[in-house]
Amino acid sequence: MIDTLFTGLSLGSILLIVALGLAITYGAMGVINMAHGDLVMVGAYTTVMSGIWLHLGFFAAMPVAFVVTALIGLAIERLIVRHLYGRLLDTLLATWGVAILLQQAVRLEFGAAFFHRHIEGLGTGLQKVSVPEWMQGTVSLAGADVNLYRTMIIVVALLLTALTWVLMYRTPVGMQLRAIMRNPQMAAACGIDVDRMNALAFAYGSGLAGVAGVLMSGFKTVFPDMGTPLVVDGFLVVVVGGVGSLAGTLAASGLLGQINGVVAAASNDILARAVIFAVVIGIIVFKPSGLFSYKGR
Amino acid sequence: MTSRRLFEAAAYALFIALILAAPSVLGEFWLNRIAKYLVFGMLGVAICLSWGYAGILNLGQGLFFGIGAYMMAMSLKLASTTSQQAASDTPIPDFMFWNAEPGADQELCCITKSSFLWIPFQSEWFGLAMAVIAPTLIAAGLGAIVFRKRISGVFISIIMLALVLLVRLLIINNQPLTNGFNGLTDLGSFTVGGLVFDNFSKATYYAVAVALSVSLIGARLLVETRAGLVLQAVRDDANRARYLGFDVPTFQTFFFSVSAAIAGVAGLLYVNVAQFASPTFMDLSFSITMVVWAAVGGRNSLLGACIGAILINMMEAGMSETQALVESWRAIIGVVFIAVVLFLPRGLAGLADDLLNALTRRRAPSPVDIPVTSSRGGA
Repeated sequence: MIDTLFTGLSLGSILLIVALGLAITYGAMGVINMAHGDLVMVGAYTTVMSGIWLHLGFFAAMPVAFVVTALIGLAIERLIVRHLYGRLLDTLLATWGVAILLQQAVRLEFGAAFFHRHIEGLGTGLQKVSVPEWMQGTVSLAGADVNLYRTMIIVVALLLTALTWVLMYRTPVGMQLRAIMRNPQMAAACGIDVDRMNALAFAYGSGLAGVAGVLMSGFKTVFPDMGTPLVVDGFLVVVVGGVGSLAGTLAASGLLGQINGVVAAASNDILARAVIFAVVIGIIVFKPSGLFSYKGR
Repeated sequence: MTSRRLFEAAAYALFIALILAAPSVLGEFWLNRIAKYLVFGMLGVAICLSWGYAGILNLGQGLFFGIGAYMMAMSLKLASTTSQQAASDTPIPDFMFWNAEPGADQELCCITKSSFLWIPFQSEWFGLAMAVIAPTLIAAGLGAIVFRKRISGVFISIIMLALVLLVRLLIINNQPLTNGFNGLTDLGSFTVGGLVFDNFSKATYYAVAVALSVSLIGARLLVETRAGLVLQAVRDDANRARYLGFDVPTFQTFFFSVSAAIAGVAGLLYVNVAQFASPTFMDLSFSITMVVWAAVGGRNSLLGACIGAILINMMEAGMSETQALVESWRAIIGVVFIAVVLFLPRGLAGLADDLLNALTRRRAPSPVDIPVTSSRGGA
């Protein structure tokens, strides 16, 4: 029983770290970033690459991945998304194009494949990241053996959520961002630099995707297509939780993670995912504003 | 306005004449390929109808395509030689033997727990009919719930996205019924009297070309009817249409179902052309790719969306001969896509429209003649 709950909790925390960045870009800014999953993928590859080329450890890769993906996110916002505010579905389509580009950049090793060069750590193949040895063990908790690495993911996910909450609700920057969420024109009229805030928020959301990628790389194979299912999961969590609500995202990822864990324990993983989709459809049909509704943009 | 209509009619006529004349020029290998692209063109029409005219961006059109494909493929699977040769009274698909319940009767009724569902598909006409009926009914039922609850915009997109992935997983999970991940291969051919719709035959090509022409003209005429005009009013402002007394969900549901039916027909034709059905039809990327085709061709133009689908697939086929180009092709598609959304929101059709405007304006510079075309971004 505790085993199942713990599995659900760790699945939920993975959903949470993927959804957290989306909660900001979609929830706060009204941009459907289909490239979010691929930013997670970039984060995972950053772990692989920094291990091979810079000999950085697993934890040192986290800030590196944050910076790399935040910069990519900044570029996406400045070059593409900036022109599409208010055109929600067009942001979806354009960022799908970005997603393809990111995947191909990794597959083609930034173009080196054309010249028959190989950059170690990139390419179409699978990559693996090894987690520090002390983290692979298990500890006994209330009579059940829990995996230390999964525990760490739960802790990091909660820490990141807390950090995001503090940034959003306890700092001047967060207050400006929340003002923009409510009403961008009015916020601009009050002297908030909406343009700059949007870029910052998008970069931060993308940076979170990078950290999620580092955590994912520890227990999943890293490959160029790994991002697509993640972005779907992330969206479902954000929509179910209620757009623009951090608490909703937290609750929804917990709920969906537990459902996934329980159904998977009772039957199989495929059916568990199917049940998740069914639950999500039900929630959207009967409560389109999400579990924690919030009137935003 | 008349010269524009004339031009549009000429474009439709030219396109249809072109696809009907193709068999006299092309060999059977290319006919088979082109037939596939024409099927994708039908998907472009279906997307345009729901996205451009109804304002519903369906990110799960693959659901209707896939169901249409599976319904047809089940019949053709039973018609295949291997299924017919099974040592029993009824034809039995090969994969059912591999999944048979121990000691079960080797008949279609009971070889696996759910195999009885296949019994009516012994008639290929049943499979054909279901390929159209099933997607239409699903869309109608879904629309009745979703549109009555006034769910709109991105929420419908996400519901459809979740639904198509849900059905995909169910198909993969039900190995004894659907052959799971492997899909249905080794299919027979649809046969009417002595006419065999072999995948390389001209008969199949003509079936596809005629179906595309009919759905293209049909959809174009449909959006011009009173119902079509009301639908466009709903797209532009659902509340105003509601206040004017129109039953908004009925119009939305009707056109959503028509779009699903076209996708279902595309699915059944694709099975005849490509000789397989697989859960990949319900992959997220395939459904989004369809939307890409329509966006590049022009989301507000039925013919544009159709040509966009055909064009992209032809280019893809041209470039997929060498491995390095396959990968860079995908990158090019990514760039094209971003560029179209940013700089050409009305797609190729919008470009043609602007050119035409420039031409007609030069000849007859009356400001009254300039039509106001909607360039709204989706929902």
